[in-house]
Amino acid sequence: MMLSTTLLRLPVPEKIANRIRLRRFMEGITLWLAFLLLLFVQPLYVEASVGDELQSGLLQLTDSRGNRQESALVLESDFDVTVSGLIADTRLIRRFRNTSDDWREGRFVFPLPEKASVHALTMTVGERTITGEVRPRALAREDYGKARDSGRQAAMVEQQRPNLFTSRVANIPPGEDIIVELRYQQPVDYRDGQFSLRLPTTLVPRYMPGPLLPTGEVSGWHDGWAVATRQVPDADAISPYTVQPADVAPDSHRARISVSLNAGLPLADVTSPSHGLETRVDGQVMRVTPSEGPVLMNRDFVLRWRPVRGRAPVAAVFHEQFGGEDYLMAMVVPGAAPGRKLPRDLVFVIDTSGSMAGESIHQARQALGRGLDTLAPEDRFNIIQFNSQPHALFMQPEPASANNLVRARRYVSRLQAEGGTEMASALSMALGSGDPREDGRQTGRVRQVVFITDGAVGNEAALFRQIRRELGNQRLFTVGIGSAPNMHFMREAARWGRGSYTAISNPADLGAPLEALFSAMEAPVLTDIQAHWPGANAEAFPERPGDLFLGEPLIQVVRGVPAEGQLTVAGLAPDGKRWERRLDLRQSAGGLGLHRRWARAKIDGLLDRASVGGEQPDEERIIRLAMAHNLLSPFTSFVAVDSTPVRSGDSPLLADSVPTLLPAGTSAGMVRYPQTATVSPLLIVLGLVGLMFSAGVVLLRGRVAL
Amino acid sequence: MNRLLLLLLSSSATLLVFGLWIPVKAVVAQEMLALAWAESQARRTETRPWPWADTWPVARMALPGLDRSMIVLEGTHGESLAFGPGRVAGTGSDNGPVIIAGHRDTHFRKLNELKAGSEIRLQGQDGQWQNYRVESFRIVDSRREQIDTQRLSRDVLLLVTCYPFEALEAGGPLRYVVMARRQDPAPVNRVEQIDTVAGL
Repeated sequence: MMLSTTLLRLPVPEKIANRIRLRRFMEGITLWLAFLLLLFVQPLYVEASVGDELQSGLLQLTDSRGNRQESALVLESDFDVTVSGLIADTRLIRRFRNTSDDWREGRFVFPLPEKASVHALTMTVGERTITGEVRPRALAREDYGKARDSGRQAAMVEQQRPNLFTSRVANIPPGEDIIVELRYQQPVDYRDGQFSLRLPTTLVPRYMPGPLLPTGEVSGWHDGWAVATRQVPDADAISPYTVQPADVAPDSHRARISVSLNAGLPLADVTSPSHGLETRVDGQVMRVTPSEGPVLMNRDFVLRWRPVRGRAPVAAVFHEQFGGEDYLMAMVVPGAAPGRKLPRDLVFVIDTSGSMAGESIHQARQALGRGLDTLAPEDRFNIIQFNSQPHALFMQPEPASANNLVRARRYVSRLQAEGGTEMASALSMALGSGDPREDGRQTGRVRQVVFITDGAVGNEAALFRQIRRELGNQRLFTVGIGSAPNMHFMREAARWGRGSYTAISNPADLGAPLEALFSAMEAPVLTDIQAHWPGANAEAFPERPGDLFLGEPLIQVVRGVPAEGQLTVAGLAPDGKRWERRLDLRQSAGGLGLHRRWARAKIDGLLDRASVGGEQPDEERIIRLAMAHNLLSPFTSFVAVDSTPVRSGDSPLLADSVPTLLPAGTSAGMVRYPQTATVSPLLIVLGLVGLMFSAGVVLLRGRVAL
Repeated sequence: MNRLLLLLLSSSATLLVFGLWIPVKAVVAQEMLALAWAESQARRTETRPWPWADTWPVARMALPGLDRSMIVLEGTHGESLAFGPGRVAGTGSDNGPVIIAGHRDTHFRKLNELKAGSEIRLQGQDGQWQNYRVESFRIVDSRREQIDTQRLSRDVLLLVTCYPFEALEAGGPLRYVVMARRQDPAPVNRVEQIDTVAGL
């Protein structure tokens, strides 16, 4: 305004003076506006030059080098499950669609049921179908690598954990897709007169304990996600990038599921705690699909069915011939044995690590609350929570008095989920927390540990060894929490801990599974179980059946026994009485896939033996066994390779890791950077430009009028 | 012509007013939030600053070096960031890392003036002040990175805002991240001191 005021005293006629004054005034305003605008526009130049200021790796914020690009691959899955008797066979079709303009190599880490035996792989490209074969792991990699580099299409599936697998698909053409079909079978779970089947679709991100390994070598295989640690050297292989459903293409990560139930029994009800169901009876077969159609792959699909009352099987025998050998599978349910209840020392261990945040910790608290309900006044108990460190409520197990229970409930209600999953120290604390002065055998107390967790750890094998070492005369029970618990951990931790396991998948489903587990914990246990098969060369697995809890069946698979004679199963009830049951093998029904189940059980047995002895497993023997039965194993992979190259050497192949979805109800460990700018500067600039422009126009018109 | 000019003039003025309103709102809201903060401290509950708010104050943050103090809100959705810096939902409970995001045009405008070694003070709902010291800065591309809260050390405070500071564009992918680390150990009197820690 200074400009205009200095001109006020000019000796000009009033009218013109006014005009000039106005014009000068406008000029002044325009100048000021231009100046302001300059202030705001200057950053535009700044912005243009920041591109190369990006640093990386200063903070370990992402779980890898922070180089994730949006995935260009769209993934569709199709589960076609056929249940016959105690075995479910699944055709799992995965379609990798390349939405980019480049050739892609897809990599996908996925879960399968923890006892799955993968027995076939085919790859379909357009019209052609290539059948995969089992090869020793290293050779399969070599084949696949050669095919990939020479531009031929190839698919490979490897086992990383008994329930975690990696598939790789090379040379997916731009805009086209490759279909990989896997066939696997899994045992159907049968307990308390109820059958159940779990189809995992995603995994909870695993925690990798231990110090970080230096990431020196970066081979073609290591496009590292999580950083390898001393305890989990293959961390990168089992930790896919986890994203929210909103972060993938709207038609990606959907699974069509259809189950054909051929139970061979009249069924009373078919239910699912995880999804709404649509059922259709088709003769002897019941067809079940989720009612919502394709389901989002962010929670396990759980299916349960129950025969009509009074028809629940208590024994069954199946028979199959494969390669000139007889295979038999027998199931015997011992039923309830009477016995008195013994006072217990119960230690609850609850996982409060970051992966439990969200719905999971809520469920875990509820589960623990139910556990506290089952305590009798003569019992003693303790609660241990752990994340990066364990923390116990009491120094040692305390009597379940009203006062202590109130304290425990208050403690439980305050539990929050955060931090790491350092399970080993928690296990030590729980298994070693009994009063060292007294031995369970002398006081007649039963010592039990209930472990409530989602099993999101990468060092499972070390933990199982630890359980075995520190167990003593205690029993360890596991409760799996969340939409996608690590069931391999639940089952094996309970097996090494001579206990039982269960899983709860949603808040509405808490009651029944927990009740079954807690009543099994209170009831007496059948120990020292022995199965005598007729014939000298019977090879039965599992070699030493574990103790049987209330409602649990004994299941054994045997090779080399024809379907005749009698199977005798005997056990010891807690009151010292012997329990025995005979099964006529001539009654056997035909079964499919028994030989695979047997082979898988034998491989597990070999791995167990190595783990107990602390030595390397007999790799050669496992490879021979797996190849004979066409099975995927820790040492054998499936690989399918096309014969003709489709990609020429000069078009590049980009690797692409397909992310997995974060299990429903989990709050993300990974947080997106929030949006942290407003439109305020933009609005101000626009407003100023507009004002200046109009002022300029007014000014011009003023001059013209003059 | 005159009409057109008037239209242009008034719409530009409106834009300007809206543009200026955002920083004004940010300043005014902080005053109201201070009241709500005082109330929530007195009552030890989450107090909403106004009845229809979908957020509430969770902390007070002071930047002595910049002579600034502000109330931190829960959540980082647009609604809460308009009134104050937001604590990323799910962080900062009890002992975990704290992540606070703020708009670069309003509350976190001066964030780039923080230097390594600058002090940041954070007052939690229990009234305890915690001292943090700035350790490092980083510019990240939010399209390619996320924050892995489980891998962050528990005594870390992250301040996140958009980068570059003077840019006009609101939806840019770059973020400016300040990492600070807690100085003194966590206060001893937590809500209920758990009496024993069993030895291993």
